[in-house]
Amino acid sequence: MCGIAGIFAYLDVAPDADRGELARMNARMARRGPDGSGDWFSADRRVGFTHRRLAIIDLSERGAQPMHSADGRLTITFNGEIYNYRELKAELEAKGCRFRSGSDTEVLLQLYADRGPSMVEALRGMFAFAIWDERTRTLLLARDPLGIKPLYYADDGWTIRFASQAKALLAGGAVSRDPDPAGIVGFHLFGSVPDPFTVWRGIRAVPAGATVLVDAAGPEAPRVYYNIAQSLGRRAGAGGIAAADARRQLSVALHDSVRHHLVADVPVAVFLSAGLDSGALLGTMAELGARDTLAVTLSFAEFKGDRHDEAPLAAEIAARYGARHVVRTVDRAEFERELPAILDAMDMPTIDGINTWFVAKAAHEAGIKVALSGLGADECFGGYPSFTDVPRSVRLMRPFRFVPGLGALARRVLSSAIASGARLHPKSAGVLQYGGDWAGAYLLRRSVFMPWELDGLLDPALAAEGLRRLAPLSHIAAAIQFGRPLGDFDRVAAMETSFYMRNQLLRDADWAGMAHSMEIRVPYVDPFFIAALPPGNVLAAIRAKEAVADVPQPPLPQASRNRSKTGFVTPVGRWMREAGGATRGAGEGAAADVTFSSASRAWALRVWQAGWTGSAAA
Amino acid sequence: MLALVSDCYGMGGGIARYNQDLVEGLAEGGAHILVLPRHGRADGLVLPAGIRQEPPVFNRLLYSLRSLWIGWRHGPFDVVFCGHVYMAPIAWAVARLIGARYWLQTHGTDVWESRPALRRRAIEAADLVTAVSRGTRHILLGWVELPPDRVRVIPDTVQDRFVPGPPPAALRERLALGPGPILLAVGRLSAGERYKGHEQVFGALPALRERFPALVYAVAGGGDDRAYLERRARELAGESAVRFLGFVPEEDLPGLYRLADLYVMPSTQEGFGIVYLEAAACGLRVVGGTGGGSADAVPDGRVGVLVDPSDRAALVAAIAGQLARGKADPAAVEPYRRTHFAAAARRLLARLVDQGRRMRGAA
Repeated sequence: MCGIAGIFAYLDVAPDADRGELARMNARMARRGPDGSGDWFSADRRVGFTHRRLAIIDLSERGAQPMHSADGRLTITFNGEIYNYRELKAELEAKGCRFRSGSDTEVLLQLYADRGPSMVEALRGMFAFAIWDERTRTLLLARDPLGIKPLYYADDGWTIRFASQAKALLAGGAVSRDPDPAGIVGFHLFGSVPDPFTVWRGIRAVPAGATVLVDAAGPEAPRVYYNIAQSLGRRAGAGGIAAADARRQLSVALHDSVRHHLVADVPVAVFLSAGLDSGALLGTMAELGARDTLAVTLSFAEFKGDRHDEAPLAAEIAARYGARHVVRTVDRAEFERELPAILDAMDMPTIDGINTWFVAKAAHEAGIKVALSGLGADECFGGYPSFTDVPRSVRLMRPFRFVPGLGALARRVLSSAIASGARLHPKSAGVLQYGGDWAGAYLLRRSVFMPWELDGLLDPALAAEGLRRLAPLSHIAAAIQFGRPLGDFDRVAAMETSFYMRNQLLRDADWAGMAHSMEIRVPYVDPFFIAALPPGNVLAAIRAKEAVADVPQPPLPQASRNRSKTGFVTPVGRWMREAGGATRGAGEGAAADVTFSSASRAWALRVWQAGWTGSAAA
Repeated sequence: MLALVSDCYGMGGGIARYNQDLVEGLAEGGAHILVLPRHGRADGLVLPAGIRQEPPVFNRLLYSLRSLWIGWRHGPFDVVFCGHVYMAPIAWAVARLIGARYWLQTHGTDVWESRPALRRRAIEAADLVTAVSRGTRHILLGWVELPPDRVRVIPDTVQDRFVPGPPPAALRERLALGPGPILLAVGRLSAGERYKGHEQVFGALPALRERFPALVYAVAGGGDDRAYLERRARELAGESAVRFLGFVPEEDLPGLYRLADLYVMPSTQEGFGIVYLEAAACGLRVVGGTGGGSADAVPDGRVGVLVDPSDRAALVAAIAGQLARGKADPAAVEPYRRTHFAAAARRLLARLVDQGRRMRGAA
């Protein structure tokens, strides 16, 4: 797991790739890779790559990057892990390829030589990489199917620059910091900036599951090779199966995914909460033969000894599977101390990532480089309330959509009632207007602020421009429109995977983990795993969210199943809200009373005020 | 390809020249191009193989009808090229009518200011937009919603007659500019184009003349603002520091550049700044202005420097600094020659023809 960046001066008039600029981009990503650093420039100086290395597979110098093919034709700079690299290597060796190292990076080079850009379709893993092909004089940028690893690029019309972090592109000094209203509006709506936008107009994300090919005429349109809606649709087409078979299928799929995610030449730990998802990972690891695994649990000083404390139950799970258990306690003082560093490491504005920051910090302190996380299980198994709320909202509210203007009218009436003191959540005013279609209902469920609230938060002209460019409802709708129509479960899964998981959870896991030189692996976020699961309606029927507790043998303790029904709370919501400037309201007692939702509105504004665009950022 | 342009063969000026370079570059790659201009006749000209030009139609309505008719009857066309944003709506309509891809060329000021909704829609419908500079591209992407990969840059070209050489003795004698140093600016003197920065240079001259007593600022070009600028020159710089040369014929320009010591025109709103490159191609270093598309014509220190003209001290320092550095490196200008331009244009056409048509009505 590493940091990558590069420059390709594709138009003849563009100045050569600048060594100083590349060095500044590299330096901004130092924490991503403390084990090594390398640069490479093409002979004509038109292309430059840089790399920060966190050594995990083939720790020797032979795994150093940027890496070249034996004939010198290809050069790669790569961030991520390829979990099926041994299988791919065996296939290539059978075709006569000779390998010089034990690294997955070299497999990428040889696979590209064999198959060209379509090689990405064969990869199982998390990745963002760039390959320079000297023969065709093309640059290939590629990002993994679900967007686990980030990859940003800036094209000014002469030169393209790419990097693992948007802030690294800015640190180079040649990329405009002009704000992008679409990204800024997106952050205020969703709490994270929706791909492919960023808050800077000159910077875009390579979309998840896409490649971008750059030749002498500049970057082509991103070419999509994976789409979650299509994949879920294909899975649904396989037809229904009996409940017992479905549970078995779930178990086989998870064992296969965890086995692949354990590939490493360093110890692999696990982030363990008291919940089922991370417990199932640890149990499966133990079953697959992982011994003496380190399990890291986050605990909050304010909860010590009360029912919200996850540590005791996590300890029970750890003991059951023979893991070494580390409990790291965080208090409010530490949060406040770290806040400047958190905001500095935050690559793009987001309302989350704090928990990941501290658990990654704890794992780093314990000498760990790689950990599995239960991230993504809720998207796979329907663990969020949205899986029931959104379909219900669409069913109930759809008839009202056929009365023109009714939704908007109701929203205005309710908004003014809320403004004059009615005790309703401000978003609830939009139920009639938005609740009747899938995209609208999802936005209502997930949004921090709603479109009509933006004028009070942002410059109205910027808000209007951003809404026009982002077109949030069609942006969401696009996530479920691909191939055949999906069932209710799959629609919500596709939206949660394409928005909340990709733009919020995964991006936060990247910056917050990499800030502590920590590679976070996510066995539930894997197209091979998702495809191997039973169809969505079957997952809903077997209550996959709970069924996962029976995947490992022995299964998870009963207490953790009970707990999963009561939900989890952290004091982070309150810290964030108070850091956001809100004061504690009358009647608010325990920390648990502050829900993440109400905290996020104040916190979102605090994060935005930290200063992102213009000259202050990065 | 059907090219809807304001002017091409039979006309002078930057846009006509650009369009000629473009259609010739594409025709060299095997493209067949029918040019439909609003101005200029190609009668009596021998056009390169693959290029035909229709008689001009000035009237807007008649031009639109004729474009539709030609698109419909003279095809099939794979691509409709539109040479000016003002004609984008009709080019869009023709392209949709005949199912062709639609390529729009922008020049600079045409997409900087006026932003009516219909024009924005017509730009957003394009399959490919080309801009002459990175600055123009950046401004355009700020107000239209287009995938950035569809907005490409093809810089202006420098013609082959702009090369270094000895200063022509006859011209030097005729102009009698003295021992110098000679600062030079070339361009129309128009009241609407005061952003070119002449007055700011006048203001910097007294300080410069303290160090270079024989320094002269030669301003070439005619226009409605000449009387005003002459008055301002006297007020700011005194009687002898500025020489107005009037209109200089195209063929004398290379000689004029070779005669001078430094090109100084700190313009803040050049669409591209082709004069900077022409000067540099003749070996003259350049002091240009920050803003607009100038950064593309003065890409690095081998050619010159860009300065904020409102900062007088910086302007004086830039001029003195560049004078001390001698000649520009003509190699820096080589990528702006026509062969590179033509190759870039052909690559974009090939990509455009390769890619599928955009979804009907997609913005």
